[in-house]
Amino acid sequence: MLGIGDFKANSCGGQTRRSFLQTAAALPMALGAGHEAWATGQAPKAKSVIVLWLWGGPSHIDMFDPKPEAPSDFRGPFGTIPTRTPGMHFTELLPKTAKRSNMFSVIRSMQSSNGGHPGAGTVGLTGFEERPTVHPNFGSIVAKHRGHADALPPFFYLGHGIPRDLPRRIEGYGGGTLGKAHDPFLVQCSEKGEANIPTLKLLEGLTPNRIEDRKKLLGQLDAAERQLENAGIDDWKRTHQSAYGLLADPKARAAFDLTQEKRKTRDTYGQTTFGQSCLMARRLVETGVPYVQVNWSEYVETFTPNGDWGWDTHIFNFELLQDRHCPIFDRAYSALLDDLNERGLLKDTLVVAMGEFGRTPKISKRAAREHWQHCYFSVWAGGGVQPGRCIGESDKVGNYPVTTPITPLMAGTTICELAGVDAQARAEMKVLDGGRVIRELV
Amino acid sequence: MRALALLILGSLGLSLSAETIRLTHDGTNKRDPRYFEGGRKIMYSFDETRALLRLMVMDAEALKPEPMFNDANKHQLNAAMSPDGNHIAFNECTGNLTAHFVIRRRDDRKDSFVKHGGRGGYRSPVFTRDSKHVLYCFAETGPQHIWRVTLDGKEKKQITEGTGVNNWPSFSPDGKTLVYGSSRTNTYEIYSSDADGKNVKQLTDNEAMDIRPEISPDGKRIVFTSMRDGNRELYVMDVDGQNQRRLTFHEERDDYASWHPDGQRIIFVGEREGRFDLYLMDVPAKGK
Repeated sequence: MLGIGDFKANSCGGQTRRSFLQTAAALPMALGAGHEAWATGQAPKAKSVIVLWLWGGPSHIDMFDPKPEAPSDFRGPFGTIPTRTPGMHFTELLPKTAKRSNMFSVIRSMQSSNGGHPGAGTVGLTGFEERPTVHPNFGSIVAKHRGHADALPPFFYLGHGIPRDLPRRIEGYGGGTLGKAHDPFLVQCSEKGEANIPTLKLLEGLTPNRIEDRKKLLGQLDAAERQLENAGIDDWKRTHQSAYGLLADPKARAAFDLTQEKRKTRDTYGQTTFGQSCLMARRLVETGVPYVQVNWSEYVETFTPNGDWGWDTHIFNFELLQDRHCPIFDRAYSALLDDLNERGLLKDTLVVAMGEFGRTPKISKRAAREHWQHCYFSVWAGGGVQPGRCIGESDKVGNYPVTTPITPLMAGTTICELAGVDAQARAEMKVLDGGRVIRELV
Repeated sequence: MRALALLILGSLGLSLSAETIRLTHDGTNKRDPRYFEGGRKIMYSFDETRALLRLMVMDAEALKPEPMFNDANKHQLNAAMSPDGNHIAFNECTGNLTAHFVIRRRDDRKDSFVKHGGRGGYRSPVFTRDSKHVLYCFAETGPQHIWRVTLDGKEKKQITEGTGVNNWPSFSPDGKTLVYGSSRTNTYEIYSSDADGKNVKQLTDNEAMDIRPEISPDGKRIVFTSMRDGNRELYVMDVDGQNQRRLTFHEERDDYASWHPDGQRIIFVGEREGRFDLYLMDVPAKGK
């Protein structure tokens, strides 16, 4: 089911009210225009990228880098289990993932320069600090390089908005120096698999059928623009433009219709926002979308009602990981790998699971773990990645890498390289300056 | 209808089917089911929305859940009912970083709160058998301990000692024995002690987690959750840790077991095809 604005509206960026009006008059022509054509040279190893953005900072020690021999005030309460990769163990919270370790590689020596959520989020998604300039999200770089695939935007955010903490959102969520035209297009997916496009909230009464009547559409957009102006919103041009294209194209609409999937397939991903979003990501990739970022959108139950702090487990770290977060992730991630693999898509779809940092190896006063940017994990599968490897190593308690740290800039450079944005293209776009590909992965 | 059939069978003294009975059908994420009022009612919490947990209650026969309290904007979960039925204790969150542990008098909804230093979280309340105290879990200085307070939230006393995360306290019917889970030695294991925390005995010992123990109404058995066979399943053992055996065999998750007051059955949360519902199953006596 595709909705058009049941949630509070969230824009993923855009342009001015004036340019919105201009766009409204030229919507059909504007679709697909203004984007660089995907270079016709060598095909990229990753035709598509799915980033599973584990917002909040998942604990490396309690998931992919357990330390069973560490002192009790570091180790945590979970047992370890072997994986299919010789010598590599995970905690017992990831049994399904462990059985599929031949399909992915784990980096245990990630290190960020920032220990606060929005700042580290920007570093994690762009490779750079927010100041003095906000650099583009890796997805925006790939999107600019590859352009639209038919009516679908090239860069999707699946989740419940731009990741944020209490004071503010991640600055590096979108186009950055490449411009807002390369921001992600936000689609929300419920645990029931219902899609919703919040940017169309103000287009009251608009349905996918009615939107095919361009005259009515323009009239509705005019009315919506006046509402937007009254509301002081000025950045909706591009998202409406993309939404129009999406709704007007049956093939594009179908990408969001999870009811076309077998019940068993939907069940396998789990009846959770994250699980169904992963399934929707697979459908988008199947239709040729080059970049999908699935934002973890579960919550820490006792922190705040209606909050969305993801993996930020300052209290109840162990209980939340064991009861909620890890079972949800383990199920959805395993289902996604299996599904992509069975459809022959994994070999050219890069799937990266990572957060903005890890959590303190030393257990806190609240019997939990705090932010820790000095050492964390990322998990890489498909799309040109050599699977079954454990790359990098942390010290005996998980405090710091004992091998050369791998930074978000290196992660982003590797993602873009595998997606076909080679060094020359990056230089021409003036992005990811100084970044190098993680050679151990590819 | 199924519940009614079960009730009739039970009242006739007929042996209950070993087949597991599904009690809810909405599939939402659920946790912590508990029988109360002698088995006539069931309470549990569930994900009402993506971002809100709600405490629910339903008649054990009609099986029509409704909110326990008219508090639509508060997380409420992890509830325990006092044996005399006069109080309910639960965890509540009303806004940013505001976690409360509430002890509520049921007749006039007078609330008492427990105060600890720091921005920690409360867990797993259980009332003493005389209904005069509440036990709960809280981490104040590093380890998470089991604490005891009076019904007005005062006279706070730490029950457990040492390191690790201590959680899920459960009392024997005579109130003299406490069973709980703890990571004090390594992974989560199940321990028993006197009600005051003395005379600790370790009941389980393996490399996987053993969590959420609950003593049966007759005081002879303990049901618990374990990952020992690679999946989250339910197990039962004698109260001294002997005769451990597996109860569930589904490839998905079985968790949050709690005894029916008849001591012959457990209610639990089962994950089936990615959906979570409450189930009621027999716990055959040893050897059956």
